[in-house]
Amino acid sequence: MANRSVLGLYHEATSTADTIDRLRELGVPDEAITVMSGVPYTPEILGRRPVYERLVPIALIGAVGGFLAALFLTVVTPHLYNIPVGGQPLVPGPPTIIIVFEFTMLGTLLATFGGLLAEIAFPAVGRHEYDYRITEGHMGVLAVVDETLADQVKAALEETGAHDLKVAESNPPPGPRTWQRLALVGGFAVVPTVIGLLFAYSVLAIPLPNQMVNQPSIAFDQGPRLAAPAEAVPVQGPVLIAAQPASEPIPSTADSLQRGGILFNVNCAMCHGPDGSGKGNLSGYFASPPADLTSERVQALSDQEIFMVLTQGWGLMPSMAENLSPVERWDVVNHVRSLRK
Amino acid sequence: MSTHETEYPVWRRPVLEDEDLAQQAEHLRRRHLLLDPKFPWEMNDDVLKPMYQTSRTFWVLFVALFGLVMMGVIAWGAQIYWGLGITGLNRPVNWGLFLVNTVYFIGIGHAGTFISAALRVMKVEWRRPISRAAEALTLFALAAAGLSIFMHLGRLWKAYWMLPYPNQRQLWPNFHSPLMWDLMAILTYVTGSVLFVFLGLLPDIAMARDHTRGWRHRLYTILSLGWRGTEKEWAYHTTSLDIFCYVIIPVMICVTTIVSWDFAMALQPGWTSTIFGPYFVTGALYAGVAAVIIVMAIIRNGMRLKYFLREEHFNGMGIFLLLLTFAWAYFYFSDYIAPWYHGEPVMKVIFDLFRRGWAAPLWFLMIFSNVLLPAATLWSRRVRRSIPTMLVIAIFVQIGMYLERYLIIPVSLGYNELPFSWGIYIPRTGVILTIAAFAFVVLGYLVFSRFFPLIPAWEILEGQILQGLRRIGRALMPTRTELH
Repeated sequence: MANRSVLGLYHEATSTADTIDRLRELGVPDEAITVMSGVPYTPEILGRRPVYERLVPIALIGAVGGFLAALFLTVVTPHLYNIPVGGQPLVPGPPTIIIVFEFTMLGTLLATFGGLLAEIAFPAVGRHEYDYRITEGHMGVLAVVDETLADQVKAALEETGAHDLKVAESNPPPGPRTWQRLALVGGFAVVPTVIGLLFAYSVLAIPLPNQMVNQPSIAFDQGPRLAAPAEAVPVQGPVLIAAQPASEPIPSTADSLQRGGILFNVNCAMCHGPDGSGKGNLSGYFASPPADLTSERVQALSDQEIFMVLTQGWGLMPSMAENLSPVERWDVVNHVRSLRK
Repeated sequence: MSTHETEYPVWRRPVLEDEDLAQQAEHLRRRHLLLDPKFPWEMNDDVLKPMYQTSRTFWVLFVALFGLVMMGVIAWGAQIYWGLGITGLNRPVNWGLFLVNTVYFIGIGHAGTFISAALRVMKVEWRRPISRAAEALTLFALAAAGLSIFMHLGRLWKAYWMLPYPNQRQLWPNFHSPLMWDLMAILTYVTGSVLFVFLGLLPDIAMARDHTRGWRHRLYTILSLGWRGTEKEWAYHTTSLDIFCYVIIPVMICVTTIVSWDFAMALQPGWTSTIFGPYFVTGALYAGVAAVIIVMAIIRNGMRLKYFLREEHFNGMGIFLLLLTFAWAYFYFSDYIAPWYHGEPVMKVIFDLFRRGWAAPLWFLMIFSNVLLPAATLWSRRVRRSIPTMLVIAIFVQIGMYLERYLIIPVSLGYNELPFSWGIYIPRTGVILTIAAFAFVVLGYLVFSRFFPLIPAWEILEGQILQGLRRIGRALMPTRTELH
């Protein structure tokens, strides 16, 4: 027993609504009637039951999904792959709120769009009853009815003023239609992702020529960069490499000692004391007292090690790199040497 | 084409017996698009015809713009090859024209969404013919903004490192940086905007599918996804548009706010400010609305859309622009007065620079274009209804807003807390790429306008269905029109 689809075209909404009433009288169920129009007429205009929509719950599910995705990125991944950033919390509050907001919104939008496509079965594959005049202001009433009822329906549509009628075999939708649709949508999503990942994981690599090293900005306030020494390994901050002083030491001449003494009094004496004994004016305020520079322990250090302490700081002692130039630091090193008892 | 014109009561113009009332009705019809209905097939023709027209002007423009874009591509290639040093970016000004362009184009990109989404949820009638043109502008402005960020990247080929994916280095994005917030915000906004434009276009693509032949028909058949205009389709379409409107407005506000935080989070004099968020949002809308006015004026003449884009629409946009002028002036002043009152030394230098330094001409031109000119002229309905005048004002607003971003970014950045490193930025390749970015937006728009209807026919038809005139006393008054 085959079904027939009858499509009638109308000029305006009143006759369309009348037609729906007539079809109901004939016993055509509401589900079998479809009204098509080029303008969003409301169900009230057509005298139809409102469409039961599930878009809002779908959007909410998307929102929850986005929310969880954001939590994964902002909370879970930092705990799994911990990267300490100087004293900052692993999961900073306000930025997390921002990311959570954005992902929630993105999830809502994607779910709304995806839900729309899924619920109205888009992209529609295959043939559907339609007439191009529907986007020209006409309204179409499509009834899918049993063969036996088709003639009655046709007569009813003519009676209510359909100016054109189309009758066709209604073929039930073939099985794999949903799969085709999903494959189509999935293909659009998957193919770019796969291509992107091939590049990201360097499966595909394009060796691009580049002259970045020779750009003008490098000459702005720096000389040509020296090659790293052979022993160099990447570590946090500068380290002293054996037999490779960070800069050339200054011989301990009278001039150097005089400069060193003045710089020592300006930069060091408030903690270490003018005589280097570690009893400067501020020395009482620290939990661990400033080092006694005259002691065996300090004097046993090499010049380079003292230089590195001045450059990097040590314990509570701050780095002097901003206060003293490398040459000045060597002067101070010479002065510290002269404090030996 | 159907000839049963009398059988379409919805779009038929009422014939009035009374001569005075007939005259009034005629007058109202000339003024208001929604009171001046056309039969749908005529409307379709009017919407579709400009898409086929590729006149000589079009091709000249196309080739010229394409050339400019190619020039930009070459400059960009040079930048990638030689490094960002050739842009003139250096210490202390590390952020130059590219970031100015980014902020500027993101701002332009706001108008589409705002006009479409906010005016839609508020059911403002004059939005109908404008919304698509504004949304299309959003698309290409956002593309240009995104490209401008990429232009600013030294190692462009590593840009994807920002994206969260399980990579070989076991690194995940660290959201401590405002730039990462920016990426996520722009990503969300671009995705949302593209889907939003597509949703609005769907019924019009279906319309184009029904009334074209050949390759266009095949293209629209695919893009329309099988739209037939059934009740279920319309119901879901309406709901999804509503959800999109309500979701995309906060996203839009968030995007510019976060763009402003890229600056405000830094301890840089002239940048560190608590009101940068709303200030940038206002500036973005301001520039965006002015840009839409420019686009409207151009497509109205260039694409013969005089029927759709009328003086009432320019009037509405003019009022909108005037309100935004006030808001922008208020925010600018608020942003100005607090640092001025604090009297911080660096801010004093920057303010002196604006008042009488080398930046003074730019600053005064900005004040003129953004505050004095619009605030002095847009009061008048005659000005708002005059399309050439509106075009001139809108162009001045664009100049002013671009200057404002320029003054904030590279100029302020030259004056940090360390006076020994102060400097002035002289743009180099950035100029070529800026021209190319503008050309790209216009070119994109030009191409879009030949592929997709710039006027949402279904929205106008919807508005015209309920059009009506009600007689009150001796006058005819237009009634409101909204199906949902």
